Amino acid sequence: MSEILQIESILNKDYESVNLVLFQEWIESFDKLSKLAVGIIVGPSDDVSLIKDELDFIKLIVLDFNNFDDGRGYSQAYLLSKRWQFTGEIIGINAHLDQLQFMIRSGVTSYVLLDSYVGVNEEDYANGFSICYQEAANNSGLQKKY
Amino acid sequence: MYQYSPEDSNFLVERVNQFEKQLKRHLAGDLDDAKFRSLRLRNGLYMELHAHMLRVAIPYGTLSSTQLRSLADVADKYDRGFGHFTTRQNIQFNWIELPEIANLLRDLSDEGLHAIQTSGKATRNITADPLSGLTDGEIEDARPYCELIRRWFNLHPEFSWLPGKFKIAINGAKLDETALRIHDLGLRLVRNSEDQLGFSVFVGGGLGAAAMIAAETASFVKVEDILSYLESTMRVYNLKGRRDHQKKLRIKFLVRELGADEFSRLVDEDWQQTKNDPNLKLNLVELEQLKKDFALPIKSINLGGFEEKVDFNYSIWKKNNVRSHKINGFSIVNISLTKLGAAPGDATSEQMRILADLGEKYSASELRTTKRQTIVFPYVRKDQVYDLWQSLEKYGLASPHQGTLAQIVACPGRDYCDLAKAVSIPIATRVQERFNDMKTLLDIGDLNINISGCENSCAHHHIADIGLLGMQKNGEEYYQITLAGETLHETVIGKKLGPSVSGENIIDAVEIIVNVYLKNRIDQERFTDVFKRIGIAPFKEKVYE
Ligand code: HEM
Ligand code: SF4
Repeated sequence: MSEILQIESILNKDYESVNLVLFQEWIESFDKLSKLAVGIIVGPSDDVSLIKDELDFIKLIVLDFNNFDDGRGYSQAYLLSKRWQFTGEIIGINAHLDQLQFMIRSGVTSYVLLDSYVGVNEEDYANGFSICYQEAANNSGLQKKY
Repeated sequence: MYQYSPEDSNFLVERVNQFEKQLKRHLAGDLDDAKFRSLRLRNGLYMELHAHMLRVAIPYGTLSSTQLRSLADVADKYDRGFGHFTTRQNIQFNWIELPEIANLLRDLSDEGLHAIQTSGKATRNITADPLSGLTDGEIEDARPYCELIRRWFNLHPEFSWLPGKFKIAINGAKLDETALRIHDLGLRLVRNSEDQLGFSVFVGGGLGAAAMIAAETASFVKVEDILSYLESTMRVYNLKGRRDHQKKLRIKFLVRELGADEFSRLVDEDWQQTKNDPNLKLNLVELEQLKKDFALPIKSINLGGFEEKVDFNYSIWKKNNVRSHKINGFSIVNISLTKLGAAPGDATSEQMRILADLGEKYSASELRTTKRQTIVFPYVRKDQVYDLWQSLEKYGLASPHQGTLAQIVACPGRDYCDLAKAVSIPIATRVQERFNDMKTLLDIGDLNINISGCENSCAHHHIADIGLLGMQKNGEEYYQITLAGETLHETVIGKKLGPSVSGENIIDAVEIIVNVYLKNRIDQERFTDVFKRIGIAPFKEKVYE
């Protein structure tokens, strides 16, 4: 979490700078923050069901994928995008190249890689297969088999 | 037999290509050890100091002769001529060179074989009853369901990074050959009062240091709803599982901490949101197709006046290794690869080819693998069992010890495994030496002895009639004894007998236990039934007197 604490704003897809608050701050100061069109930073331990009725007031959501083996972000992305139909951006930060395909199909709409990679084609990792075997939040153009 | 479509095979190749890139990046120093570990395990690759092991899936334990030959080829071309059949319907190759892995996997993908999710914190190879489709009273062959569920969780975007490994078993037969309630998740095919087909779901089983029997979280989930139910179970686990404690990663700890009722309630709450989503329904058209693909390749035959050969060795072997088939005129034949003093489950490439050839000749080119690390021929004509036995004899594959107490399940133990606290195989050998008289062995009948060298419980000692667990006491090797574990009729974790017994005295203790059993047995009563009737006290008394 140390890295994300330092982020105070992020550029969205329209290149606007959106101010960010931590999940806990949002919960504690909903009345104030809900009027400010901020984005919120959700850590793996945060219980996203606490904000499911407040999504209309949230400009964008940032999920943290820093810990490679901590898969909670994928369920968070699924719940926010698919179940609760959050229409804003869901940005995966501290993302890892080898997990892009999983993030995107779970409902993450854009990402910021933790490390920069030289000489690799990100597209290969975001979308390296011709078919998929399951329904997901976003089937990202893959043909679902069965 | 069911075969992958060209699209499925292409998917395997795409996965190999992806893994090859990851491996190259790692070897070039562009992918760190921790991340690569997580990635390689998802592709069945274990890296040890001196050797690398690759675990390849044998989906639902079914192999064609052609597939077995390709495994033999891999053993020769990329390993030292060996493969090791595991207790969970996988095969492991122990001496693989890293730069060759992608080619090895490409060779296998031609035959529809792969290493996807054979390890790591994701849904593992889904195991099925090795006798699926073969026995009377079965609700349905479990394999089409295994295949559909396997596909669904293949590189699943949401559930590929779970807190711990996730093992699923599915059983459709009366007896539970899969031990489903010691799995993270077990599915039992059932029919409800309206004769609809569905599953009872059991969650949170597992062996190891904290052995637990899975709790029933749903008594009936309709077949078409099973995928959404499984997703909800995994979602609760993914979000709430104990990621903070290395020893509590498995779902059994979550189920225990929340209580089975609360866990089931959370799953149900999530499931109410998705169970009606048409996109999450099991594809029933595809299911029907798979049922055709897995249909038995034999029809009942009338053997009329066929007469069984009379031969002493044959009849002993037959008694322990041949079972009746639901199809008239056929038998199920069990073949053990175990040799005295060797690790169970090891097979040479030569043995694999022999079995592939014999399978082609006698068993419609199909073989099955079991959790006792044996190979099953599912379709042997009754009038050809004798011929098959003769061939097996010729190749040393028809030991009459099979199916007796002498067929011990032992992990590699201290001789081969760094994690071990004590030896396993030498104990097995000593037990075999003690009970070396065929008459006694036949009298005792099928009694399971399983020996694990440490609490990782690779040999599943908790569910054996007599389980031995190696441990250290004051720098010496001791064995804890558990009795009357079982999974076939019901799931029971063996009861601890008392203080552990030294390596020196352990064989005597085993003999005493067997004698108490024989003395108290009425007719052909099984060990577990005697134990239930007389309790632990008579065993305890004699062993510790
Ligand atoms: C006769 C040989 C062996 C038997 C019967 C055996 C049995 C098993 C089985 C059935 C599993 C579960 C694998 C699966 O998911 O399919 C397993 C996993 C494991 N075995 Fe063994 N094993 C053997 C050899 C070894 C050796 C040589 C070692 C140590 C070097 C070892 C250490 C482990 C460990 C640490 C695991 C857990 C790995 C994981 O995270 O899945 N085993 N073993
Ligand atoms: S039970 Fe322990 S000693 Fe035996 S193989 Fe498994 S890890 Fe090694």
